[in-house]
Amino acid sequence: MENEKKQSVPFMERPIVRTVMPFAGFTFIVVLFAILTGGQLYTAGNLKLLLSQSYVLLIACIGVFMVMTMGGLDFSQGSMLGVCSVVVCYLSNVNMLLAVICGVLTGGVIGLINGFFNVKRKITSFIVTICNMYLFRGVVAYATTKTPVYGASNITAYNTIGFNLTFTVVIFVIAFAVFQYTGLGNRLKAIGAGETAARFAGVRVERTKMLVYMAAGMITGLAAFINSIKVGSVTSTAGNQLETQIMIALVLGGMPVNGGAKVKFYNIILGAMTYKILTAGLVMLGIEPKTQQLIMGIVFLVMVAVFADRKTGMIVK
Amino acid sequence: MSEVLLHAEGIDKNFGVTHAVDHVTLDFYKGEVHALIGENGSGKSTFTSCLTGIYHKDTGTFTLNGKEIHAKNQVDGNYQGVAIIVQEIGTLSGLTVAENIFLGKENEFTTFCVKNTNAMNKKAQELLDSYGFNYIKATDIIDKYNFEDRKLIEIVKATHFKPQILVVDETTTALGEKGRKELFKVMKETRDDGRCVIFISHDLDEVIEQSDNISVLRDGVLIDTVKSADVNTDDLKKLMVGREMSNNYYRADYGEKISSEVVLKGEHLTVPGEIQDFSIELHKGEIIGIGGLSECGMHEVGKALFGASYDREGKVTLADGTEINDIKTAIDHSIAYASKDRDNESLVINDTIQDNIVLPSIENLKRNHILHAKDEKAFAEKFAKQMSTKMEGVHQFMSALSGGNKQKVVLARWIGKDSDIIILDSPTRGIDVKVKADIYQMMDHMRKNGKSIIMISEEISELLGMADRIIIMKNGRQSGEFERSEVLKDTDLIAKMV
Repeated sequence: MENEKKQSVPFMERPIVRTVMPFAGFTFIVVLFAILTGGQLYTAGNLKLLLSQSYVLLIACIGVFMVMTMGGLDFSQGSMLGVCSVVVCYLSNVNMLLAVICGVLTGGVIGLINGFFNVKRKITSFIVTICNMYLFRGVVAYATTKTPVYGASNITAYNTIGFNLTFTVVIFVIAFAVFQYTGLGNRLKAIGAGETAARFAGVRVERTKMLVYMAAGMITGLAAFINSIKVGSVTSTAGNQLETQIMIALVLGGMPVNGGAKVKFYNIILGAMTYKILTAGLVMLGIEPKTQQLIMGIVFLVMVAVFADRKTGMIVK
Repeated sequence: MSEVLLHAEGIDKNFGVTHAVDHVTLDFYKGEVHALIGENGSGKSTFTSCLTGIYHKDTGTFTLNGKEIHAKNQVDGNYQGVAIIVQEIGTLSGLTVAENIFLGKENEFTTFCVKNTNAMNKKAQELLDSYGFNYIKATDIIDKYNFEDRKLIEIVKATHFKPQILVVDETTTALGEKGRKELFKVMKETRDDGRCVIFISHDLDEVIEQSDNISVLRDGVLIDTVKSADVNTDDLKKLMVGREMSNNYYRADYGEKISSEVVLKGEHLTVPGEIQDFSIELHKGEIIGIGGLSECGMHEVGKALFGASYDREGKVTLADGTEINDIKTAIDHSIAYASKDRDNESLVINDTIQDNIVLPSIENLKRNHILHAKDEKAFAEKFAKQMSTKMEGVHQFMSALSGGNKQKVVLARWIGKDSDIIILDSPTRGIDVKVKADIYQMMDHMRKNGKSIIMISEEISELLGMADRIIIMKNGRQSGEFERSEVLKDTDLIAKMV
């Protein structure tokens, strides 16, 4: 086939639509809940609450964002957050810095396990991370069987807007710089769009994948720290369903589920904030958790359908 | 001239702003092989795709035997009497040979919702035997067979029901000697049977040899229809590009001395099942041509030298002794490789022109360890333009480009990287005369600037025209070596191939 194939592009597949849609969605949600809650959602107090609930999701999204950019998925994030939180809380009784470092390392190790099975054993990330989701959920349950794991008594003292916000912003700035200015973003997108071709262009695909899975784990380790200082302890449900929240958030932000060339860094922030406003709004409207879940499911399905990059094909590695 | 079999009236097809086929009216006669030629993007494939149901025409009618036909898809086209053999692989992996042959026609073997697999297999085997392909087993999973055999199975698939019109769309570029012979046999039978073959090929010698009439398309417009007996390749080239082709298609020099400086050395390279104990020395400023039949292992040589082969034995070293064992090291040491498999290996097809050009050069583009978006864009634009790539802009996705333009992007990438050793596998495969000439000129220019090139090619004239030294391979081993010379003939090379 050699002819210039320039089919008239369907409306939904135009680049401008892909760019505008998530912003329009965000604005729509913001305005919708402003009206439905009569502005209640945006009082100073509620905004503060909203923000305090968003840090963990925001941070954890970064790692999955990178994994998804190269065409993978990571369902183990929730359990990972649980395990890392256990480590952080437990060690915070010894030393705060040690707790953070070990939390991050724990995430890194779990990420490496994901990466090992995905890269070396060639099992799709979807299967590997679902297995690890169950495995590490089990670990969390085991660690919290008798009582929750309590952090040091002063651990919640770090839980201030100033600290949390600075912490999150610094992580975002670093992640953005690495993604945008080191060529990592180009490489991840190339892997997502065409792994073989990326390899032939000199991208060390295996090494990059391992590194990204590890980094995703370490970043979740940081999220676990924020989670720990907010709650002060870990129960068996810590991080439950975080993986789905991340996935919905990223898709709401306009990210193609199968990664590749059309991924944008702002998908993370836009998506996480849209998701949080949506859930907070639903809570404030007094909608039952069951119904909330139903609504989120429908939203997720619709967004996936809208933002899937069908040209690339739905290949999850 | 005999009766009209197929009459195409005012066929028109647009892809967005591109007018791919512009009101083409053309007659095809019973008992003829009718060639369609033209540059990339001239509309030949689009025209036949509209006929066979791959695309849907915007306006116009096809009348076959006095009855208007309108193929909704390829299977529907088959039932209406038209069939196509495509350039790329047209069989599905994971299915058996029989299932592939009767794809979409399972109903023929179905009674009361039960498919009679045995009957289908039996029928398929009978067909294969009747074509003389009795070594292919109908019940085998098709993946067992190589590209060439799969193409033969596709020939059976497209022709066993004796279609009135058989379209052969650039199939020969992908085939070796044997496959071509089989294909030409089937084409001849179709013609002698009073039916018609529409033959699309870039190989003009082949076109003149195989066809009765030749129609030339340019930018979607039918330029002329000529009798094959009345024209030579130069006439056709002139019609295709609409101007006189200059004579320096290939490089003109002979007897230039090659530097004794070795830049790349492959010693005792073995890749199981592909190449056996192959050694090569590439000199500075030299073009080595590697030729042979398509299964002779020459395509693997390029991968082996680039560090991209699995299970490679033997050593690949640069002048300074650096060993090349993986792709990254190869690229970092100024080796470039353009694969024969352009869409999978050479290019990230679902990515933009810019990303594709920039990808290997990311580290070079950084200023103080920082990669700037505007540097990427400027870099991509510079080299895309240098290669005169036809595009809307560097943000355009690769998948929208034609074959020739894709190859230009591949070359732009490596020119941008400023590699010193360039391995080109089938650089002009499926590419029209004009772009070919550009590529040859570029190679000559690179050679004069002290770059060294290995050109792997199935086109003998290209090897004779461009290479300083030609290595011929057979069954994974070197079977002959020739110095560049005016007296060297294609038959000399072929003798070593088979």
